[in-house]
Amino acid sequence: MREIQLPLSQTQKVRLQKALEQLESLSTKVNSDASVIIADSIHVNHEDGVLKGHGTADLNGEVVATLCGVVERVNKLVYVRALRSRYKPEVGDIVIGRVVEVAQKRWRLEINYNQDAVLLLSSMNMPDGVQRRRTAVDELNMRCIFEENDVVCAEVRGFQHDGLHLQARSRKYGKLNRGQLLTVPPYLVKRQKQHFHHLEEFGIDLILGCNGFIWVGEHVEAKDDMIEDQVSQSDSQVLFPNKNCVSLEEQEKNYTILETRKYISRAANAVRVLSTLGFNITLEIIKGIIDLSLSMNLDIHDMLGSEFCVLVAEKEAERRSSMKKRR
Amino acid sequence: METDRPDSQTPNQLRPLACSCSCSILHRSHGSASWAQRETKVLAAVYGPKAGTKKNENPKKASIKVIWKPKTGQIGKVEKEYEMILKRTLESICIRTIYPNTTTLVIVQIVHDDGVLLPCAINAACVALVDARIPLKHLVVAICCSITDSGCIILDPTKDQEEKMKAFINLVFPNTIVSVLPEGSLQEGSETMAHGIMTSITQGAMS
Repeated sequence: MREIQLPLSQTQKVRLQKALEQLESLSTKVNSDASVIIADSIHVNHEDGVLKGHGTADLNGEVVATLCGVVERVNKLVYVRALRSRYKPEVGDIVIGRVVEVAQKRWRLEINYNQDAVLLLSSMNMPDGVQRRRTAVDELNMRCIFEENDVVCAEVRGFQHDGLHLQARSRKYGKLNRGQLLTVPPYLVKRQKQHFHHLEEFGIDLILGCNGFIWVGEHVEAKDDMIEDQVSQSDSQVLFPNKNCVSLEEQEKNYTILETRKYISRAANAVRVLSTLGFNITLEIIKGIIDLSLSMNLDIHDMLGSEFCVLVAEKEAERRSSMKKRR
Repeated sequence: METDRPDSQTPNQLRPLACSCSCSILHRSHGSASWAQRETKVLAAVYGPKAGTKKNENPKKASIKVIWKPKTGQIGKVEKEYEMILKRTLESICIRTIYPNTTTLVIVQIVHDDGVLLPCAINAACVALVDARIPLKHLVVAICCSITDSGCIILDPTKDQEEKMKAFINLVFPNTIVSVLPEGSLQEGSETMAHGIMTSITQGAMS
């Protein structure tokens, strides 16, 4: 059984173990030789003409594992998928990062990878929305766009000699504020078609970063600030007003109402529960946990208690078994 | 033969793995591990494989560079020897043909030394390589045996016990079946293993 760091009573331990065993039995990929360690033998049918992929080697006519992980079979290809605890970026991934440095024509972002990512000024939409060459003035005003410790959403553009490059050339990317940033193990966030979610009934936004950073915040209407008519050269040279120095009226406008803040905290705690249990983080499951906590009239802080975690595990086992029956 | 040990262990008993082994504890490294045997604690980090090898290395194979960092002070002759032993041991377990002309850097930081330091470092480095997903032929386990003046063999001695011993030997075994076969010498690829022992380092008079 997975080691779960929770203060559980004996009854809760039994219930949790039962739920996890049920989930394990429902898992489609469970087969006797799925998990291997280094030098373990991998059973293959040599008559079929096996292709030996990553993490495998031939030793005295026998296929052995050279990595610790799970054996995957795709047609004739046999390879070992390493159990990753660290995020491995791929082009097109939606990531959330925190600005650690404002450098020359670029921002450096911490994205839970073993290198800092680079977001170039040219890979970023300007605040005035005009498509133009970046000037020295734009470079001076970089801190008006993002400064240190800002949370930014971006997309992986590619790998260059100086590191991992990101881009944020769309209205859905950019600075994230009025919310919570959560960190979970990256393998719990699977690559999906949609990583930006709007939970209408709660008025909150949820961004599942492939790098294990999850953003839960107040819903912001994505407005396209692309200005069609060209701004004169003199206008473009004007310094941007410092967005960090806002007036009291603007602060009041930006104030998040208590109800929304409660929903943000509920969603964040739902993610924390899933992370504790080691379940994949998806929109449906998060919604289910929020609904469960509301139906039980549970306080927000009680969602992190042992009883609720056990309950979530049981509900997830129920949900998966009912899905399997439907199939 | 019986001998009294202050830590109330039997002579053939290993010290418990205190906080055992933790993986991925360093954020910037490709793989890292902490290995503790009661008071002895070692931290290992792996960076790489990175392109390029040194002049005297074979460019058709991956090379391993080991940096030993003592708890205090500068690196000395003993540490240099440990670096070399660790380098040779790790080179014998890595499949070096997969990433030719690359260098993998292994940094070993001593957190605390209370005996059996080299075996502890070898174990930590092996776990760090696994965490860095570097293809290995096999996992290794290292132990230390020491011999008292009366000829009694003690497994896993502490620092104080090590100083009183006549001699001690560090042994490294692989996890594959070859390590338990009774045949005298086994050829494992290009490496020769005597009775399944990959590395043995002896200090002092054994007879």
